[in-house]
Amino acid sequence: MHIMHRENAAALTIVEMEELENIFSLLLLGSFVGFPSPPTFLAVELLPFMEKELKILHKRAEDSSDMLAELCGTLGID
Amino acid sequence: MKIFFFTGKGGVGKSTIAAAAAWQLSQDSRVLIESLDPAHNLGDIFNVTLTDRKTRFTDNLYLKEVDLQKLSRDYLKREIDVLSGTYRYLQALNLDNYFSVLKYSPGIEEYALLTSIEDTIRSETEFDYIIFDTPPTGLTLRFLALPKVTITWIDRLIQIRKRILEKRYTIQKIRGVENAGIVLSYDEQDDDVLKRLQSLKYNYVSLSAILEGRDCTVALVFNPDILSLRESQRLIDGLRELNLPLRLMVNNKVTDENGKMADEVETIMRDYLKDTTPMERVRFSPSLIEGKERHLFDISENIASKLIEQCI
Repeated sequence: MHIMHRENAAALTIVEMEELENIFSLLLLGSFVGFPSPPTFLAVELLPFMEKELKILHKRAEDSSDMLAELCGTLGID
Repeated sequence: MKIFFFTGKGGVGKSTIAAAAAWQLSQDSRVLIESLDPAHNLGDIFNVTLTDRKTRFTDNLYLKEVDLQKLSRDYLKREIDVLSGTYRYLQALNLDNYFSVLKYSPGIEEYALLTSIEDTIRSETEFDYIIFDTPPTGLTLRFLALPKVTITWIDRLIQIRKRILEKRYTIQKIRGVENAGIVLSYDEQDDDVLKRLQSLKYNYVSLSAILEGRDCTVALVFNPDILSLRESQRLIDGLRELNLPLRLMVNNKVTDENGKMADEVETIMRDYLKDTTPMERVRFSPSLIEGKERHLFDISENIASKLIEQCI
């Protein structure tokens, strides 16, 4: 029970964090998906440490067709 | 140590003037001249074969031609090694060599070029003067702009990264230690991405400071003709925007026939500059085409003294 409360409390911050991480990777690696992007080498330079961010980027791309459901889930609307 | 960049439109004689300056300076100081142009002709001017390792010409003068392709390859190899190290499990499946596709990333050449300049400036400290013969205008402006552009990007990325770490910290605090699960780095000292960003920034800020500083001088070579005048004006604008110190103009290939044109071009240039940047005239040397025994780098005008005057 205790854990559930804590997870609930953290949930919104987690969404916010993932969104930020998504933006971060999109800015950095945008050139790979046709975004105007910083010098490519910066992406190459940081690529080795970006595993988690890339996963989020991927997940966001997959979920993007159903943003409304995503939002409802986040706000706890059934 | 003083650093000189020779810039200008393709074919105006950048390399020749740079070589002449290097030769003159080397009479009483130690000089390294490095060609950054992918279409090298430094070796032709000194009539020697050059590689990407510095070659001794005289005791005081060393020459070097940068191999752009090799630089890009080396740089990417380093990065791919880090990448393969992080994703070591891919080696088991023999998938790690797929990262090699990165060598086709655009923008890598400029970066490799900048890295080469940086290496030279930081490692060749035993020379009194380092002279860079640059590629044509477009590429030159792009790689000289790179530190500034990069710093702007890095700043933004650092800002976002710090916010991410704050959020992670909050999440960590709410969850408590016992229920942590996978702990993501939230401390600024632990985050590899942030650390890398900050070290990159430090690097570029210091490089930028060197390029804009008192020890660096940009010389612009032009010819008495309209095309090189126009391109030089664009170069002047570009250099100003980047805050790079243009301190010498060289009007190259002046003859008796184009003397009037040379005067005109210099007047327009002077108006455009709106300052007292010295303008040096180099006469087209006819003995070169008559095939007499004379070295291409041996010109009678004293470029070296002008350069030294400018950088005291």
